[in-house]
Amino acid sequence: MKRKVLAGSLLATMALLATACGGGGGSSSSGESASSPTDPAKVTGDVKVLTQRTDLVQDGTMKKYAAEFNKIYPKVHVTFEGITDYEGEVKIRMNTSNYGDVLMIPAVIKQDDYPKFFASLGSAADLSKQYTFTDKATVDGKVYGIANFTNANGFVYNKKVWEQAGITTWPTTPDEFISDLKAIKAKTSATPYYTNYKDGWPLTAWSSVVGAVSCDPKANDELATEPDPWKAGSDLNVGDTLLYNIVHDKLSEEDPTTTNWENSKGLLATGKISSMWLGSWAIVQMQDAAKKAGQDPSEIGYMPFPSQVDGKFCSPIAPDYQEAVSIHSKHKAAARAWIDWFTDKSGYVQTNQAVPSLKGAPLPSSLKPFSDAGVKLVEVSQAKNAEVNNIDNQSEVGLTKPDYRQHLIDVARGAAGGDLDGVFTSLSKKWAEAQKTAGL
Amino acid sequence: MGRSTEDRGPVTRARVWRLVTPWMFLAVPLALLITFTYVPVANMISDSFTDWDGVSPDKNFVGSKNYVELFTRPELFQVFFVSLYYLVASVVQITLALYFATVLSFNLKFRNLFKGILFFPYLINGVAVGFVFLYFFQPGGTLDSVLSLFGAHGHHFWLGSGRMANTSLSGVSVWRFMGLNFVLFLGAIQSIPGELYEASELDGANRWQQFRHIIAPGIRPVLSLSVILAISGSLSVFEIPYIMTGGAAGTQTFVIQTVKLAFQFNKMGLASASAVALLVIILLVTWLQRLLVPDERTDLV
Amino acid sequence: MTSTLVPPPGAKTRDLSEQDRSAHTRRTVARTLTYVSLVAASVVMLLPLFAVFLTSLKTSRELAQDGGALSLPHNWLNYHNYVTAFRDGKMLSAFWNTSFILLFSITGTVLIGSMAAYAIDRYHFRMRRPVVALFLIGTLVPSVTTQVATFRIINDFGLFDSRWAPILLYTGTDIVSIYIFLQFIRGIPVSLDEAARIDGANSFTIYWRIILPLLKPAIATVVIIKGITVYNDFYIPFLYMPSENLGTISTSLFRFKGPYGAHWEDISAGAILVIVPTLVIFLFLQRFIYNGFTQGATK
Repeated sequence: MKRKVLAGSLLATMALLATACGGGGGSSSSGESASSPTDPAKVTGDVKVLTQRTDLVQDGTMKKYAAEFNKIYPKVHVTFEGITDYEGEVKIRMNTSNYGDVLMIPAVIKQDDYPKFFASLGSAADLSKQYTFTDKATVDGKVYGIANFTNANGFVYNKKVWEQAGITTWPTTPDEFISDLKAIKAKTSATPYYTNYKDGWPLTAWSSVVGAVSCDPKANDELATEPDPWKAGSDLNVGDTLLYNIVHDKLSEEDPTTTNWENSKGLLATGKISSMWLGSWAIVQMQDAAKKAGQDPSEIGYMPFPSQVDGKFCSPIAPDYQEAVSIHSKHKAAARAWIDWFTDKSGYVQTNQAVPSLKGAPLPSSLKPFSDAGVKLVEVSQAKNAEVNNIDNQSEVGLTKPDYRQHLIDVARGAAGGDLDGVFTSLSKKWAEAQKTAGL
Repeated sequence: MGRSTEDRGPVTRARVWRLVTPWMFLAVPLALLITFTYVPVANMISDSFTDWDGVSPDKNFVGSKNYVELFTRPELFQVFFVSLYYLVASVVQITLALYFATVLSFNLKFRNLFKGILFFPYLINGVAVGFVFLYFFQPGGTLDSVLSLFGAHGHHFWLGSGRMANTSLSGVSVWRFMGLNFVLFLGAIQSIPGELYEASELDGANRWQQFRHIIAPGIRPVLSLSVILAISGSLSVFEIPYIMTGGAAGTQTFVIQTVKLAFQFNKMGLASASAVALLVIILLVTWLQRLLVPDERTDLV
Repeated sequence: MTSTLVPPPGAKTRDLSEQDRSAHTRRTVARTLTYVSLVAASVVMLLPLFAVFLTSLKTSRELAQDGGALSLPHNWLNYHNYVTAFRDGKMLSAFWNTSFILLFSITGTVLIGSMAAYAIDRYHFRMRRPVVALFLIGTLVPSVTTQVATFRIINDFGLFDSRWAPILLYTGTDIVSIYIFLQFIRGIPVSLDEAARIDGANSFTIYWRIILPLLKPAIATVVIIKGITVYNDFYIPFLYMPSENLGTISTSLFRFKGPYGAHWEDISAGAILVIVPTLVIFLFLQRFIYNGFTQGATK
């Protein structure tokens, strides 16, 4: 009998343990806030910053920023954690209270849940005057995240290669873009377009065509109610069709499954690749690669999506990751001080030639060709972003996931069955169904 | 074991003590096993009845909705076709291992060298293996260079599309795991008493007959263990395709799909349901195998 | 088996020398084919590794000139990439962290595995079969799928981002080692336990003084198999020890690849650096490894 009792108690202990481990990690106590400190000398504490820029953590750049920061806030100790698979790892960690003091809000977190995970940074009324896109992280009039910077979207390209092919002006239609690539293929040794299929995440930039064709600031919000986002002429349809045709007409690399992102920078800089569709954050990385390869960084060009409304190009502007303070942080003032300083004063935005999220700050020089050519910068509203994300996950379409475009490329190169219309039809079907069921 | 005397007093205490003793030894192993295997599994099963997204503090009970969805979406089970590649590869792997084990159980020159070469890949770090083979399959990488030595120039797309890519990846898994099967078989063969061979030699049995009547029965337990592991392994392939292709180009396996449902589309409930389904399938396979090949030797009890 | 020294009937009627000769030729052909197959298999096994080794000795310029993966490096002593990989890959601290984890998780596994095996083999208690089944079924769970729950448990113990998380996870469920110990313990005569018991030893003394020392060959096997598993594991340290100074061999190599993604010569050097210790240990402990497998997995 005793043995049974012992076994029983052991199991009971385990059951207790199991229930203790149940339940989500977010605390239900909302209403925590992290307001900007007034006296820098008084701010103290350790701050752990999570970032996906593993390269900057490894080469010591982030440490230099921390040293600069310490000149103003001498009593704050900042450490960094570079995370390779940011979304996947941080999602798991957010089940606990252990996700750093400052982090970028992962796409997985529902906007309505922000108050459960993050400290409020202030009222939307105040912060929206100061920064763009606060609506993406606003819940009940409070802001929970501030983007370090925002991105324009376009094709990075190698000017020399395009000149060699005899192309002097930016193409204005997708068809013209395709024929330009054909000219590059015929007249130069460069690969006209590089998909970065293997690493996958660069492909997600193609979802940033939303707003590029329609020139509509509400383009993203409309996805929440539009039952067929892939209908002819829509942003996604035109963008995906262009990508499909590039691959289908063999204007991209031979073997997409062995592409290499790090390698692609050097290839573009040395003219072995002629173009890639990426956010404007990529320009500075391409320029660095050019310097490393002994090339002239000014050969790296940036052009908007080949489509015009009333004779003008449009480039959607959308926020990068938004920085937030963890609700579990023990040094919220110090954490907030870091976010403020990093966004406004660190020079990080200027170094990376990014579009500042701070209102009234000047545009980076990398986008000068855009302003010279009168490209219209369209600030894509994020007001309904939460709903769009929800439908996206429910439908398993994955607008911001690599799989969707990897499949499109597979179809285009004949590695998967089906055709473009079939792909669009099934995407629309999934989307429309999810709109009905995505309980908001 | 022990005395089975029935008198009362100190003996009773001794008997109680004997009942408690094994549990003292088992306490820590069981506690760890339950904490790190069964509690997570219990959590997974309970999550499979909710609409949890994996992060949010609120979960809602949705009954069997996830299971209904799982079994009414045939495309979710289509990925098991990819497992067939690995299953075929496992057959190749076991056959090769068996062949080499048999050959090397006889005295040959350089026997130990060959043994070491065949086994060593199994010991190599998985990340390193991933890099080695990424380089191997690069256009113009190792494989293309070798082929051009034989006059087959040009680039082949080893990871390019479904059939080719899955064949390449399951080839990597053969390269990596064959050594383990091989050493297990070799050990089994060598534990067969030498007299049996001597006797059969005197009877004029040839190598094939020796294999059939002496070696094959001697390695049956290890063989059936290898078969279980091969089948359950093929169903839950994850690491090699995940590191090398991320599941792109038709190389998605069931576990990769589950991980994507959980972490990309935040359908923790559905992902848990499909993990439970996978677990049940693996248990069924094991049970069937036991039923078909009753073999007290593979049983631990 | 009965063996006779009498040749089978019918053998006498044939010309013996002819029979010998044809048998001899056949044997030679078979032998040659065997060697051919072995050499072919060895080439297949070694070639991918050899190509990476060659690449690790090349300069980036040599690689760019594209002599193919199997072209020989200009300078066989070009250790420059190894220096880069060792320094920037933070391999020194990676080796230290890995050693630390190895030491504790192997010790834990040996103790826990042998205790479980001792209890299961030497005692016949009523819950024995279910307990064994629990251990057995535990191995079939694909651990990737239960990661979120496991993570929460580790975090509740306050072990996240420390070396103890992987140690506990590696020690926690290891049916293979229990299996090996079980096989061995069966071979240890019960009479030894009985004799010690008559001398007044309690069961713990028996386990510690008699069983454990006799398990040495099994311990060697477990140490090696577990060591290989832990040294090569990637996912657990990747998830549970994100801090930069807590890199293990696998995670350091993986993170090293990020910024060096374009430099196959450096990545190759990193991969070779990780493979070399395995090779050295394998060469020294070959005998133990094979013996362990031989006696552990079969009876």
